[in-house]
Amino acid sequence: MGKPEVKGTVTSLSSVFPPEEMQKAAKMVEGKLSEKQNEMNQLKEFIADNTSLINLVQKLPDELHHDIMVPFGKAAFFPGRLIHTNEFLVLLGESYYADRTAKQTVEILKRRGKSLMSKVDALKAEMQDLKAEASFFDSTASEVADDLVEIREYEEDNSTERVSQSGPVELESPSVAEADNKVSASEDDEYARLMSRLEELEKEELAAEDEDANANATETETDSDEDELTEAAFHRKKVEGYSSLDHNQRYLVSQPRKQLQQSKGKDPMNEEMSTTYNHQDLTNQLACTGLTAEPVTKGNYGGECEISRGRIVHQDTKMLNPPVNASVPSEKTSLKQIIHDSSRNEKPVQTPKSEFDSSKAFTGSIIEHTENLEKKLPEQKTTSSQSSDSKPSKPVSRFKMQRK
Amino acid sequence: MSSSSTALRELQRDLENKANDLSKLQKDIAKNHQVRKKYTIQLGENELVLKELDLLNEDANVYKLIGPVLVKQDLAEANANVRKRIEYISAELKRLDGSLQDLEEKQHSKREAILKVQQRIQSHQAGKAKA
Repeated sequence: MGKPEVKGTVTSLSSVFPPEEMQKAAKMVEGKLSEKQNEMNQLKEFIADNTSLINLVQKLPDELHHDIMVPFGKAAFFPGRLIHTNEFLVLLGESYYADRTAKQTVEILKRRGKSLMSKVDALKAEMQDLKAEASFFDSTASEVADDLVEIREYEEDNSTERVSQSGPVELESPSVAEADNKVSASEDDEYARLMSRLEELEKEELAAEDEDANANATETETDSDEDELTEAAFHRKKVEGYSSLDHNQRYLVSQPRKQLQQSKGKDPMNEEMSTTYNHQDLTNQLACTGLTAEPVTKGNYGGECEISRGRIVHQDTKMLNPPVNASVPSEKTSLKQIIHDSSRNEKPVQTPKSEFDSSKAFTGSIIEHTENLEKKLPEQKTTSSQSSDSKPSKPVSRFKMQRK
Repeated sequence: MSSSSTALRELQRDLENKANDLSKLQKDIAKNHQVRKKYTIQLGENELVLKELDLLNEDANVYKLIGPVLVKQDLAEANANVRKRIEYISAELKRLDGSLQDLEEKQHSKREAILKVQQRIQSHQAGKAKA
């Protein structure tokens, strides 16, 4: 498997945030929070006192004098009068007093109230910060208790990081890494199965090719099969069931997608990996058939890029291309010994389509070919085979030519 | 063997002394913090008083509480006094800041020295265990 290099670190949260320290930190934050709460309560009391005082100061000048019970010492009162009701000795601060009227006193008090409010706001902001800290500590403490592990993976290409956490038992979040842990085990098995199936199909193809070399009718069928295979590779449409190859192809198409939810951790990457695996298998198949392997593979890559609708990161396909290309030629060379279809490889990329199209007409053209031959025979004086060779328009005839 | 044990004892004594010094330093730092706090509050209050005095009319009566006595003061005089006090408090704060920094540096160096002594003790003990 051509894996792009994935570097990663796995750190258990308990090593980064030891549980004891977490608890200590949480307690500290709680203590600070309670302190701030006390301060806040005190300030609120001050503000309440201030407002009541303002009300009193505003009410006093309504009368010239008030009859009151004057406190005397610790535990005594005596009846008295409050005079000069508009004169207030206001404490300015730092043991400084000033004579002021009621209005002026109220103004002073209001200014004091404002400063108190600003202090309260500052305290509130601090408390919010502390609360955020406390919640963070709580969450990490719980995570550490659950033995969660932090997995960090680095992609070589885009240098992006993806931090994922997976619990040994719990499924906290539907992260892909979790699915990977479950699926990766089955993935290898399925891959092994796929490869064995591929080999079987290769053998079948070889057998089919050998048969084709002998008979015409079967030859046309396999040709059409091959054409249809390439067609399916391009369009991923349902292939007409000519041979088991098609079935296997469909099997390949569906399987890799399920199992290749790779531990790459990116969904576009997943799809792209599945597509590349797909055409890797297909190209292997096609290489076995010896069919226009090289141009078809190239065509496949181009086709795959189209199919995936631009989600393929071309870098990654390129990375996969070398290994695939390496494998394809090797298989091809081994099969070439058996099947000599060198001329087929000369076909350009677009011909598979035309091959496919012609294959439909092909079934009809068999008859035409013989008819043409019959027609030409009386016309030409040269050998009939050569005359048949001279037919350029129909690729079918070229196949026939090669066989002969 | 005995020489190493006496050396060990010396080292431990050294460690104790250093630890005492460190705790003293820490207390000094705490005191410094407290005094700084007080001065900061006073400074704030004095600035408030100055603001209020500025808002007063020229002929308003200003009194100062000295002990149980409320003494009448001139507005200008009161202004001048408050300003002086503010200056004095800010100077004190600066001084305290400097001394605090000193203390913190001393504490830091003491901690390092303690670490070194601890390391030496550990090496001694390791050597003892081997022998």
